[in-house]
Amino acid sequence: MAHPLQLGFQDAASPVMEELLHFHDHALMVVFLISTLVLYIILAMISTKLTNKFILDSQEIEIIWTVLPAVILILIALPSLRILYLMDEINDPHLTIKAVGHQWYWSYEYTDYEDLGFDTYMIPTQDLAPGQFRLLEADHRMVVPVESPLRVLVTAEDVLHSWAVPRLGVKMDAVPGRLNQTAFIMFRPGIFYGQCSEICGANHSFMPIVVEAVPLEHFETWSSLMLEGA
Amino acid sequence: EEEEEEEGFRLLGILDVQNTPCSRDAILHGAGGSVTAGLLHFLATSRVRRSFDVGFAGFMLTTLGSWLYCRMNNAKLRVQQRMIQDGIKNQIVYEGTSRDPANKPEAGTPSGPS
Repeated sequence: MAHPLQLGFQDAASPVMEELLHFHDHALMVVFLISTLVLYIILAMISTKLTNKFILDSQEIEIIWTVLPAVILILIALPSLRILYLMDEINDPHLTIKAVGHQWYWSYEYTDYEDLGFDTYMIPTQDLAPGQFRLLEADHRMVVPVESPLRVLVTAEDVLHSWAVPRLGVKMDAVPGRLNQTAFIMFRPGIFYGQCSEICGANHSFMPIVVEAVPLEHFETWSSLMLEGA
Repeated sequence: EEEEEEEGFRLLGILDVQNTPCSRDAILHGAGGSVTAGLLHFLATSRVRRSFDVGFAGFMLTTLGSWLYCRMNNAKLRVQQRMIQDGIKNQIVYEGTSRDPANKPEAGTPSGPS
């Protein structure tokens, strides 16, 4: 999860998010170089001894400041498009989960093999155990197997919501009457937090998403227990 | 004990040179390239202001070149790392089965003196 005063992204837990992180580093370096250039030009313009600055022309500088932005845009666009298409690659998911947004909780349905479904509500601040995170913990987690390609179908029961988990690089709008699909694979076990990302009413900030990635045998145990308890 | 991560130093408040791979090397190479280009130009022409401009251009080009080269190598390493990880995982998962990657087809019986 994010820590206080954090500026950068959280660590990646999926290959797509790792690629996004690297692309962000690349774009930030380009931004840094452009900012340095602008700063230098400002300093140069302030300190110039030229008096007739506004009646000069130069074909060379005109060519440079036409070609250079095009080159910079290409430097940014190529890795960006690569990730865009990488995110849309067809994979063969091992598991499909439906995430349904309600006011103001999420419900998850695992219907591939058995009929398993449950609601998850935020744990109120006064009920948190020591060490738990305020506004992020939920009473039930979406447990998934690690290292397995997963598909999540996102929809909503009432108003717009959005299912987002930053560490997985996933954000998908939950639209009533529509099924949106997103896919990811998690390469490390852990607990990953997210929050509803589309304004949906009074408790929009209080419907978190908690994804727990566990080894496959633990996932099988968990799903058996959940089915027995249902 | 909880360890707190130190916030990396950010150049111009933007670039975290400590935690971003390749950034520190790129900036250092850029600084070296800048000083070299500026100095050489000044020694050749004795024009101070223009030498500063050349030095700055050298900084931009060297930083960008070093950055792109390092990131490309980094990306290749990551791909190889992922392939190795997948190979190790497959080795563990399929060991002893017909899909074991270590299984090699048997060689034909060599002929020899009877």
